[in-house]
Amino acid sequence: NEELWVQSVLEMPKRRDILAIVLIVLPWTLLITVWHQSTIAPLLAVHKDDGGDSRRDFAAGLDSKEYCLSDRDIVEVVRTEYVYTRPPPWSDTLPTIHVITPTYSRPVQKAELTRLANTLLHVPNLHWILVEDSQRRTPLITRLLRDTGLNYTHLNVETPRNYKLRGDMRDPRIPRGTMQRNLALRWLRETFNKNNSQPGIVYFADDDNTYSLELFEEMRSTRRVSVWPVAFVGGLRYESPKVNAAGKVYGWKTVFDPHRPFAIDMAGFAVNLRLILQRSQAYFKLRGVKGGYQESSLLRELVTLNDLEPKAANCTKILVWHTRTEKPVLVNEGKKGFTDPNVEI
Amino acid sequence: MKSLLFSRFLLLLPWVLIVIIVLDIDSSRAPLPALTARGGGGGGGSGGPRPAAARAPPQRRPEAALPTIYAITPTYSRPVQKAELTRLANTFRQVARLHWILVEDAAARSELVSRFVAGAGLPCTHLHVPTPRRYKRPGLPRATEQRNAGLAWLRQRHQHLPPPQPGVLFFADDDNTYSLELFQEMRTTRKVSVWPVGLVGGRRYERPVVENGKVVGWYTGWRADRPFAIDMAGFAVSLQVILSHPKAVFKRRGSQPGMQESDFLKQITTVEELEPKANNCTKVLVWHTRTEKVNLANEPKYHLDTVNIEV
Repeated sequence: NEELWVQSVLEMPKRRDILAIVLIVLPWTLLITVWHQSTIAPLLAVHKDDGGDSRRDFAAGLDSKEYCLSDRDIVEVVRTEYVYTRPPPWSDTLPTIHVITPTYSRPVQKAELTRLANTLLHVPNLHWILVEDSQRRTPLITRLLRDTGLNYTHLNVETPRNYKLRGDMRDPRIPRGTMQRNLALRWLRETFNKNNSQPGIVYFADDDNTYSLELFEEMRSTRRVSVWPVAFVGGLRYESPKVNAAGKVYGWKTVFDPHRPFAIDMAGFAVNLRLILQRSQAYFKLRGVKGGYQESSLLRELVTLNDLEPKAANCTKILVWHTRTEKPVLVNEGKKGFTDPNVEI
Repeated sequence: MKSLLFSRFLLLLPWVLIVIIVLDIDSSRAPLPALTARGGGGGGGSGGPRPAAARAPPQRRPEAALPTIYAITPTYSRPVQKAELTRLANTFRQVARLHWILVEDAAARSELVSRFVAGAGLPCTHLHVPTPRRYKRPGLPRATEQRNAGLAWLRQRHQHLPPPQPGVLFFADDDNTYSLELFQEMRTTRKVSVWPVGLVGGRRYERPVVENGKVVGWYTGWRADRPFAIDMAGFAVSLQVILSHPKAVFKRRGSQPGMQESDFLKQITTVEELEPKANNCTKVLVWHTRTEKVNLANEPKYHLDTVNIEV
């Protein structure tokens, strides 16, 4: 009896030992696997990001990414935790992009500017120069600009009306937006000193076009004048500069008058600020400009065909679309207006 | 005795560590709290010329408490599709905790949208369902099947997750324009909230008429006799309501054009329950913009381009 008891006592420690060993080893192996997993997951996310687009690179304060594997039916995408500082913090190394937008009052104006602002809010070091076609700066635009939080300059100049025609017709000989863009150019020349200014790029952005964020990063490296394709202009899916194997522009792939000096849309080029300041007399021609020659009237004073820098993968990617917004149907307003004019749209 | 305690302690230590780590992983799947709280102030930073006026962060709640906004967007292939989706994405990416449900009117996922979704930069679910040909006549309601597919996905996804899942759902057509303030307004939806819509119904705007914080009527230019005379862009529904009314869908049979919204809302709420937003429905925060059809008259029939460029 005693022997049995002693034996069982001797065995128990063995079992207890085994138990103890298991209890010790198990959690540590669990810990190690968990730690291993958590160090691999961020590596995976980073790996994915290398193939991803450049849009996220500049989002300052990029936080941890969640990477959900896809169901066969459903694609869930790499999620970027955005830090919502709008706009992104100013960087001392990036050239400023000065975006010149002429605008005029019509029912869709606030909507257009709102969605344009929503795009511009993503772009670091952006300076929005909004020029109204009006006698004085309107409260609608003043409020809108202030509420976006963007870095902006608010200008205005009224295109003279054609008093010969009855009603509210503007002078049809002056293409729309010309005086406004010229005013912005003059403002830039008056504000920035050509010898001592920060690097900048000037881009003309109409308020109804659609811009991808990649476009702004492409234009940032402009040394003189850079060009790229534009969708939905000239009756085509897109118009584009013709680029040869050496990476030089030698012509224009358009159907409408490809022999223009610069057969390109306003949204298809950007100019280095220094060039604007140096050629201080270069403006858009106000009168006597044939349809489609507006852009040429400015560009021929700034640069030659040979000096153009093709962007967007040698002009093979579409990063800007010349969308136009339908005129909204307002028949139910009647002649005198029905809705409360104090409610701003 | 001491050594016994010590050994017990050592034994327990790794287990405690495991528990802590597991809890940490769980909570990090929910959005991070303090780090990602809105640093909304102007963002001008130092040294920038003319930094914008500082703005107080619009939302003071930490992000972990934010209800997710689900945007169901039906889309179909046409030249401006990528442009519309691009600028819509640019807006949505400014909104915290927004999950985009993109439903194509197509028999299979298109390459364009698949590529777009992969680079969209926000959480996105890509679905597709084709509209039967007999429903493609002009005058018939559009995007019904696509919106229903979005609803079905949401319902299916949430039946496995434990309640409560705070969330708000709204229908975002791909050519409308949304201000960022709209999303703040809709996030506090408890059941169904409504607000004015610009440029619709033949008027500058349409809106619910509000008295004492309740909707009492409709200010609209078209068929004000509808039970809910509101546009698709003018309301949002809380996820709870969607999940608790599993049969509420957009109808095809017996539906009249222009009655889509009414028929749907009738199934889930009453006019008395509606929550007016946008300052008692006096501000326009969303516009029913439409994009012009693109002029492609100069596209060649023959001698196509040597490269295939996506537009």
